[in-house]
Amino acid sequence: MSEGGPRGPLSPTLSPQEAEELARRYGLELVGQRPGLLAYVRDVWRHRHLMWAMAKGDFVATHQDNYLGLLWSILNPILLGVAYYLIFGVLIGTRGGIENFVAFLTIGLFTYIPVAAALTGGSKSVLRKSSMIRSLRFPRVLLPITTVLSQFVASLPAFMILLLIALISKEPPSLTWLLFPVALLVVLVVSLGMAMLTARIVNAVRDTANLVPLLVRLLRYVSGVFFSVDAALARMGDPEPWVAALLQYQPVAVLLTLVRETLMQEYPVRGETWAVAGGWAVGLFVVGFVVFWRGEGTYGRS
Amino acid sequence: MAAPEPPTTSVAGPAEDRIPTVIASDVSITYRIYGSGRAVDDDDEMGVLKRVLQRSTQNVGVREVKAVKNVSLVAYEGESIGLVGRNGSGKSTLLRSIAGLVPPTGGRLWLRGKAALLGVNAVLLPNLSGRDNIWIGAQALGLTPKEVRARFDEIVDFADLGEFIGLPMKSYSSGMAARLRFAISTAVVPDILVVDEALATGDAQFRERAQDRIAEIRGAAGTVFMVSHNPGTIVKMCDRALWLDDGELVMDGPAGPVVDAYTAKYGRPRKKPGKGKPAPEDPPEKP
Repeated sequence: MSEGGPRGPLSPTLSPQEAEELARRYGLELVGQRPGLLAYVRDVWRHRHLMWAMAKGDFVATHQDNYLGLLWSILNPILLGVAYYLIFGVLIGTRGGIENFVAFLTIGLFTYIPVAAALTGGSKSVLRKSSMIRSLRFPRVLLPITTVLSQFVASLPAFMILLLIALISKEPPSLTWLLFPVALLVVLVVSLGMAMLTARIVNAVRDTANLVPLLVRLLRYVSGVFFSVDAALARMGDPEPWVAALLQYQPVAVLLTLVRETLMQEYPVRGETWAVAGGWAVGLFVVGFVVFWRGEGTYGRS
Repeated sequence: MAAPEPPTTSVAGPAEDRIPTVIASDVSITYRIYGSGRAVDDDDEMGVLKRVLQRSTQNVGVREVKAVKNVSLVAYEGESIGLVGRNGSGKSTLLRSIAGLVPPTGGRLWLRGKAALLGVNAVLLPNLSGRDNIWIGAQALGLTPKEVRARFDEIVDFADLGEFIGLPMKSYSSGMAARLRFAISTAVVPDILVVDEALATGDAQFRERAQDRIAEIRGAAGTVFMVSHNPGTIVKMCDRALWLDDGELVMDGPAGPVVDAYTAKYGRPRKKPGKGKPAPEDPPEKP
């Protein structure tokens, strides 16, 4: 056929110039153009209702496949907390000098769970929803965002339990507890940034999807979920300054410290932690959003 | 092959007073397929080790498939355009681009207004109920929650799902899912409606209602693209047809002659495939 069947009379072949001229005359829009950054932000805002509907859909879809349903979002972290306590509190003993190890461990664990879920789910959000990309038009950044939002909502019961655990383990309620939800918001913003960033990377180079579980595991073990990073550094003697800085100030370690400082008496709230965490939140969110936006128009192609 | 018929007046008025809705200039669409690797050449001469190595890595790598090659066309308001072609000729891929969902990799494509795709594969969220899918689908088409609420009953009525509206979409029969998708996609009158074999699954009664709705959209100066493997449907519902073969646009003209030419070539008494082209089921050549 390539040797040329008869062309119908209706569509004499236009030269690219003529096509462009025709499109301009009648105000047609070029497809696949990445919108400007501001226009993109406006577009996301215009789709905010869709964003909630999608996040809700994600949430419902992940919690409907079993009898206990939503109850699992409470049961799961509690069971996991018990397991971790048995392993790290009793069996291995990573308690170090921590007074309230139960609160320390559960805060670390329950804060890390949504961050890890954001990395795992967010990085695959675009690939997993490719059928949706191929049937509906919306700013694609909604995919990593809604994935993180729904997982965060699923973590809300666990955050409530944290307050309960803090009370039971005799942490005196104080005004700094009011910062607890703010700290969680910072956790959310960092998670969003990481999800958008990894979503673009994994979409561009599929093979990196295999590194995400490794990254998640690595972060779980170096971020001080079940041990104190400071104490570990002290035990290491005098590590190189950059090693110490890396371990203390990488985003996940800072987030865990941030949340612990709002609830635990032995970790007083420090401006430094908030400044670093805030910096990571703003930085990762902005970089993640811009990086994802720059790939708009390439998603769903394969 | 049929000689081009003289244009009928209804479809080919002077181009000047018709408003184009889709302009494609030299559009090519290439997509990547992962894990498809290269063809293995099994050679008895090869050492065992080499053969094992090659077998185990044969699924490694990416292949690029050119699904649409250098297609140029202009579609106008009020036109209803049918696409014919064998399986794998690039019809669905081209339609996804025309719906503004998957941007072309080469050439340029312009659209006027809002496009909606209606396809058999356009699964929304299979785990969610029809009700949730209406909310998400309608909002993705640009409706505000208020507008969705206002049209919700109308969408549900058109889909005619009864109590299934509250059940997850994965429990639907293909006809039910098609009805729901059609109802959502046409909740807003799109400027460009792209129908990818979605009507094939419905029953006769639904097809009739769907045809009325499509006529309505054309009446509202929309452009309709549709794929159907039933030549009769194309002739009946379209005034213009495109014939795609192996990603190339081979014929573009009034529906009747194009469909005739297509069925003459690939009609029921199946003739041998065109020279030099792989059968559509064949894996694509490595570029």
